[in-house]
Amino acid sequence: MPDLSFLLAQSLSGLTAAMFLFLIASGLSLIFGVLRVLNFAHGSFYMLGAYLAFQFVLWGGMGPGRFWWAVLGAALTIAIVGGLVERLLLRHLYGKDELYQLLFTYGLVLIASDAAKKAWGTQQLSLSRPPGLTGSSRVFGTMLPHYNLFILLLGPTIALGLWLLLNRTRAGRVIRAAALDREMLGALGVNVSWLYTGVFMLGSFLGGLGGALVTPVRAIVPGMDVEIIVEAFIVVVIGGLGSFWGTFLGAVIYGQVLAFGILIVPAFSIFSVFALMAVVLIVRPWGLLGQPLGT
Amino acid sequence: MLRRSLLVTLTAALALLLPSYARGEKIKVGFPIILSGGGALFGEPAMKGAQMYVEEINAAGGVLGRPIELIVRDTKGNADEAVRVARELILKDNVDFLVGTVTSAEGPAVSVVAKENKIVFIAPIPKTDQLTAPEKLHPYVFRVAANTTVEGRSAAEVVAKWNVKQIATIGPDYAYGQDVTRAFVSWIKKLKPGVEIVDQEWPKLGEADYTPFINAMMGKKPDAVFSCLWGGFFVTFAKQAKPLGLFEAVKLNVIAVGEAGSPETAKTMGSDYPFGIWGNSYDAFYWHPSPAHRDYAERLSKYLKDPYPSSWAIQGYTGMQFLVEAIKKAGSTDSEKVAKALLGLTIDTPIGRQTLREKDHQADRGQLYGKMTLDPAIGFAVMKPPTYIDPSRFMD
Repeated sequence: MPDLSFLLAQSLSGLTAAMFLFLIASGLSLIFGVLRVLNFAHGSFYMLGAYLAFQFVLWGGMGPGRFWWAVLGAALTIAIVGGLVERLLLRHLYGKDELYQLLFTYGLVLIASDAAKKAWGTQQLSLSRPPGLTGSSRVFGTMLPHYNLFILLLGPTIALGLWLLLNRTRAGRVIRAAALDREMLGALGVNVSWLYTGVFMLGSFLGGLGGALVTPVRAIVPGMDVEIIVEAFIVVVIGGLGSFWGTFLGAVIYGQVLAFGILIVPAFSIFSVFALMAVVLIVRPWGLLGQPLGT
Repeated sequence: MLRRSLLVTLTAALALLLPSYARGEKIKVGFPIILSGGGALFGEPAMKGAQMYVEEINAAGGVLGRPIELIVRDTKGNADEAVRVARELILKDNVDFLVGTVTSAEGPAVSVVAKENKIVFIAPIPKTDQLTAPEKLHPYVFRVAANTTVEGRSAAEVVAKWNVKQIATIGPDYAYGQDVTRAFVSWIKKLKPGVEIVDQEWPKLGEADYTPFINAMMGKKPDAVFSCLWGGFFVTFAKQAKPLGLFEAVKLNVIAVGEAGSPETAKTMGSDYPFGIWGNSYDAFYWHPSPAHRDYAERLSKYLKDPYPSSWAIQGYTGMQFLVEAIKKAGSTDSEKVAKALLGLTIDTPIGRQTLREKDHQADRGQLYGKMTLDPAIGFAVMKPPTYIDPSRFMD
């Protein structure tokens, strides 16, 4: 039987993985919740966010604070890209069959991956941890890297910030109303079209931010877009598509099931996560905190 | 009318002016390779190496007086797509030979196509033993890559010299990762019977967060680690493992195969590389075994316009070189004859003498191994020194 400090450390490592996933999946979930669009290209926004952060650091250098400007610049650029995509292309597909939206966003995936290959080539890229967060501290008898600690704190902060935005501001009320009844909101004089653009930009921003923030701990490689979208889908399916806290819960469960699943069945690392997803789909097809569509 | 004949004359004159440039019907070589997604990291430079070789050969008059045409197709890292493009290359483009594929899924799949169409197929990168296993072997398939048995055993030969007893392994959970880990484990147990495998981690291929795996591994208190995470996966793993203290905990007794010691990976990571561990690579621009290799590295550097040219290009290069030498030996482009000529063929490659063994159509290809040490002059890790492990003495 492993000792308690090891189990705590293992739980913490699962939580770190979970917070990254939450950052990325929250944008996916938000866009689906309001626009009812399953944005397959969300993983591409994540990947482009990572490449852009790399590019900005390359231009700006790795001096103190530079990394954070690069992260912010990358996330904002992705938000603008998302805004353009929604404004110019995606909006023509609202009200059409969902298959069209899925095919369209899948088309974006292919375009983005080819564009990234043209711009940055096929070799893996990497960034160092930002100055100030390069070290580690000993917690529960194991090392906790400071950058992981930062992510562990950032995840809940962003979750709380988003929750406040959605539940405590007028903009949030309108966004939630748009998710429930778009026509009624339009009749009340709200410019729903721009609201959709805004939400899509916010969702894209979160995807780009997630991508930019993983650069110090992950390689930037072609194919990272498709890898992450699968994981993000699992998270939102477990938590409930469109449900904000569901996404958070889904990510935390994903991380913990992965961390402890590999202790129990080391030969099938991903098995436990998929098994959990299957169970959730059978028992609550709309996810743990989601709501059945059409109610 | 006059103008047209003038044009013809001019063209003819131009053709004559290109002195040694090969004329005659082209020899077509289909080159199915990954050019998109994660595997493009290997596919692209391998393609460049093949292209450089073809340009050099054509400039020197071609083979049998005929130029070679390389027809490249993207397999997208997918076995079904690889089979589709291989069929298309054979049926539509009428290629005479196939050289290519990257993954251990694509290689065996394209091998079946080569067998059906009786066309020589040389695999420059896939490592799985399955490709040339007795039940899968046929007269037309050959491999110039190291296979998983060679790579696993070479790593075990290195680790056997270390003073370690409890080894943990980590590798991606698919054919390559499993095969090479199994080869390593069985060989190290044979070389050092006292060794114990205390932990085996199997993250999925494409895993982006190794933290839980690293933590679980450290919980088993190994004193050495074997990793076969390749390309960007090793970069991710090492970046996450370093601040967790894994490398210090095992006193840098880590061997990372899957070309984790390649100049590409070292350059990408710069000062984040876990200096002091052991890595392997197919080639290295700073390795100087012979004047021929130095010359090759310089040509490649010029061709790629890169002062630190790729270590993967050599695989496409030697793949094409074997094919061309076999065509010369056979004096024909008939696949039947070329396949026979390839059996037991020994050629001088930039990395030295290589033989395609008659018994299993496998080249006696080893790899470079060395302790990864920071070279301050270039700002990234190099093997100090790079040692080529010749596998012929421990190949089955």
